[in-house]
Amino acid sequence: MERNREGMRRVGQRLMGPGAIALMGLALASVPSQRAVRAAAPPPVPAAPTPEVLREVFHNGEAGFVVTEIAYALGPDAKGSGSCPAGMSRGIRDLIKAYKDSPDGQRRTDEAEQAYERRVGMAVHAGAGGQNLCMHPELAGPDPLWRMVSGADVRVDGIDLDGQDSAPGKRPAAGTCGHQDFQGTHGERGIDNQFYRVVGCVPGFQSTGQANGWQTEMYTGSWGILISLKGVDDLRNDPDVQVGIYANADPIQLSAARAALPYATYAIDQDPRFRAVAHGRIVDGVLTIDPVDIRLHNIVNSMKDERVLRDARLRLTFTADGGMEGFLAGYTPVDDMYNLQFGSRQSRTAKGDLAPERIRIQVSQGREDAFGHTCTGVYHALQQAADGLRDPATGRCTGISTQYRIRIAPAFVVDTPTKSVNAPLAAR
Amino acid sequence: MMTKRTFKSPFFALCAGLGLALAGGIGWAQQSQVSAASPAAPPAVEPAPAGGPPVMRRLTESQYRATIADVFAPDVPIAGRFERAQRADGLIAVGSSVGGMSAFGFEQYDASARGIAAEVTGEKRRAQFVPCQPKSANAFDAACATKFVDTYGLKLFRRPLARDERARFVGVAKAAQARLGGFYQGLEYALVGMLQSPHFLLRMERTEPDPQHRGALRLDAWSKATRLSYFLTNSTPDAELLRAAGAGELDTDQGLARQVDRLIASPKLEAAVRAFFWDMLQFDGFNDLFKDPVIYPAYNSSVARDAQEQTLRTIVSLLVTERGDYRDLFTTRKTWLTRPLGIVYRMPVATRNGWEQAEYPAYSNRSGILTDISMLALHSHPGRSSATLRGKSLREVFLCQHVPDPPANVNFTAVDQVSRPGSTARMRLAEHNDNPVCAGCHKLTDPIGLTLENFDGSGGFRAKENGAELDLKGMLDGATFAGAPGLGQTMHDNPNVPICLVDKLYRSAVGREVVDAEGPYLDYLATTFGASGYRVPELMRAIALSKTFYAVALPAVPAKTQTAAAARKGDRS
Repeated sequence: MERNREGMRRVGQRLMGPGAIALMGLALASVPSQRAVRAAAPPPVPAAPTPEVLREVFHNGEAGFVVTEIAYALGPDAKGSGSCPAGMSRGIRDLIKAYKDSPDGQRRTDEAEQAYERRVGMAVHAGAGGQNLCMHPELAGPDPLWRMVSGADVRVDGIDLDGQDSAPGKRPAAGTCGHQDFQGTHGERGIDNQFYRVVGCVPGFQSTGQANGWQTEMYTGSWGILISLKGVDDLRNDPDVQVGIYANADPIQLSAARAALPYATYAIDQDPRFRAVAHGRIVDGVLTIDPVDIRLHNIVNSMKDERVLRDARLRLTFTADGGMEGFLAGYTPVDDMYNLQFGSRQSRTAKGDLAPERIRIQVSQGREDAFGHTCTGVYHALQQAADGLRDPATGRCTGISTQYRIRIAPAFVVDTPTKSVNAPLAAR
Repeated sequence: MMTKRTFKSPFFALCAGLGLALAGGIGWAQQSQVSAASPAAPPAVEPAPAGGPPVMRRLTESQYRATIADVFAPDVPIAGRFERAQRADGLIAVGSSVGGMSAFGFEQYDASARGIAAEVTGEKRRAQFVPCQPKSANAFDAACATKFVDTYGLKLFRRPLARDERARFVGVAKAAQARLGGFYQGLEYALVGMLQSPHFLLRMERTEPDPQHRGALRLDAWSKATRLSYFLTNSTPDAELLRAAGAGELDTDQGLARQVDRLIASPKLEAAVRAFFWDMLQFDGFNDLFKDPVIYPAYNSSVARDAQEQTLRTIVSLLVTERGDYRDLFTTRKTWLTRPLGIVYRMPVATRNGWEQAEYPAYSNRSGILTDISMLALHSHPGRSSATLRGKSLREVFLCQHVPDPPANVNFTAVDQVSRPGSTARMRLAEHNDNPVCAGCHKLTDPIGLTLENFDGSGGFRAKENGAELDLKGMLDGATFAGAPGLGQTMHDNPNVPICLVDKLYRSAVGREVVDAEGPYLDYLATTFGASGYRVPELMRAIALSKTFYAVALPAVPAKTQTAAAARKGDRS
């Protein structure tokens, strides 16, 4: 413990000089970041934590955090922003209505209500061979009524993944495909967020929609994300920091009001596939990392998927409570994104078996209904908008740039085997 | 005559004499100088036993549970709830000999008795508990029933049954079998009767003439065994102790020492130490403790449960496992943690489900059990810390002093404005203490409690309050210090701290107030405690081996009155 204290004192002095840590916020606000040089105005920097807070967060230059908020970083709602000038994408309800309005879709004489609804469902959800289109979206062609974000002045915050301000007709960066980058709300350029471009005109992905509420399961303890920092000598500028991004093996700890509690202890997932370590740096108080592949758990309706992010980056800044906030971004393999967010083609049970198809179909169609998309429409839109992970053999991109806005709270991250108190019951 | 012990500190007199405080004419430093006067040298050997009155003590909840676990099995369910224990002069152990029993309380005992008896005699477990099998499924087997009644009568009443008692319970078994048709149903109701009997629920101490002191009384062997067992194990006498009692071995120095040493060496000593400190630290207060979840989001029922266990584990580790110095409880940084506690302490806890040893960091400002969540949260308000409650509890719990309750019409406006920007508890209390009616008692409590203001009402650390720096200077019995570590060291060095423990431990052991004549004996115990390096098990051994522990002196009641009262009441138990 003495070592911890000495380590923290050392960190504090090297970081900010004796007694200077309180000025960190001012310093951060007054020194323009590299990104801000290109921008009209630098992004606002959160209030810096006090030395007392930092002393509790950092021990021997190490700190742990638990993700307390995570959601897709999406741009403005279509309504009023001009982001969807051609209107909203056609959803499954539109298809159902269109079918019911067609001659074939009329309820036949002596056709029972249940039989009629089954026939309507088959008409909109099944392909020519009777296969479910959410499970086999490739059987249908692209939806001509799918709409993507195309407004000229749509601002979206996030991270520049490919290192350039991409635009159609412009030579794409290595490993990427041509696309139009976004501009940040403070003028930053080159922000890659093709996932928003795909879903930004879907009702469920508006700020009032349900599609971005998947962190609910995180709050029930089904999955979680941990971040660790090591080798931090200077919180303002440190060229050599080790950053770990892990799946959390423990449920997140919440208050009675269901707010995440800081300073809880969490164990790293023992499966090496869910552990990523990256080299990082702190520049003007902003933490970034070199690209690293990340794999996280995602559990919805008790079905397990994996949230994959290739060539992932972080950009985080400290907040007054000792936590950090910013962005996690990278390229999600298109098929993974489809399976994860739309059609549960690969969802598994707690035991690791492929979940029953009936349940996977129900969940997928339920999402269509709740979010307002069609499985086939979003599948082909994702393929069309893919901008990363270019396959050298085919020249096609297989990944789509995805940005998450995250907040993390101080936590103690330990690497120790965990065993549930319910393990004996689960083994039965 | 029962009396309260007097201590070297002057605070008893001053606290009781509120007028002195109101006058403000006597400074605390002066008071402390008065206390420096040394009393006469305490005796190095045990004074002649004086003894107090025998008592009838209701089993506490923990004793009831431990007794059932030991007599039957730890997994025998206890269905009833327990009445709120009565605390007398700081101890439930003393309150258990003066409190009454409500109809609700007896109903709950009845529920527990029926549940226990059903489990013990039920088809599933009767082979484990019933020491014989009936010869016939239909005819009543008096011999087997008698064996059952004798076996559990001895264990539950902590003495052999008298002939009429045995006959009564065997008769219950027979009558119940006749009504219900089964032998084991008969035993079930006999057992229910025993478990509902005051001879089980109450520890009735019986006396006999002391053959070594003509005209004097002493506890009989069974009462000795009971007092000894609950003191050293917090449970009923085990088979060996009952055997020794029956063989008269507890009446000899050698026989008593053998049993005391056996019990002191037993793992059950831990349970006794736990029970005593749970009582002394007033952890029953957690039953009524509430914290505002908006203000203290990390405080929840898990924290409340684990906080008590944390402190008890620290106590047991230091005092029993390590045989350490009692005073070190106020300075040790060694502790135990669970994950829920780790959130409040802001310390890592690798163990997912369970306890692990830890150490408060030096920079944490925590040292000793006074900085445990249990002590800090228990003596705080739902939404704020309380220097006053903390100081009051410290004086009452660890120094055996009494701080008066506030007057009914006190104005709390100043201290309740807890969120005033830039204000600290010290500032608010200073405003509050402009009222001389309040100032007197606050002088007793606040100089101690304000040193713990680094910790909020849930026990979490805070560097500042409302943005203001905290002044953690304090004073106790003339000693000045700063912060919780300073308070811990001052408590460690305060001579009244171990004296108070001796007083409370003895009162807990005998279940009553100390009588005047026992004063020299307590001085002797305090000396013995110090000579042992303030080892609590050594103190318990000294008490358990002393003649005074078993001595009896009946209160001076006119013989005629006593006889008449006894005749009126009779013994219908």
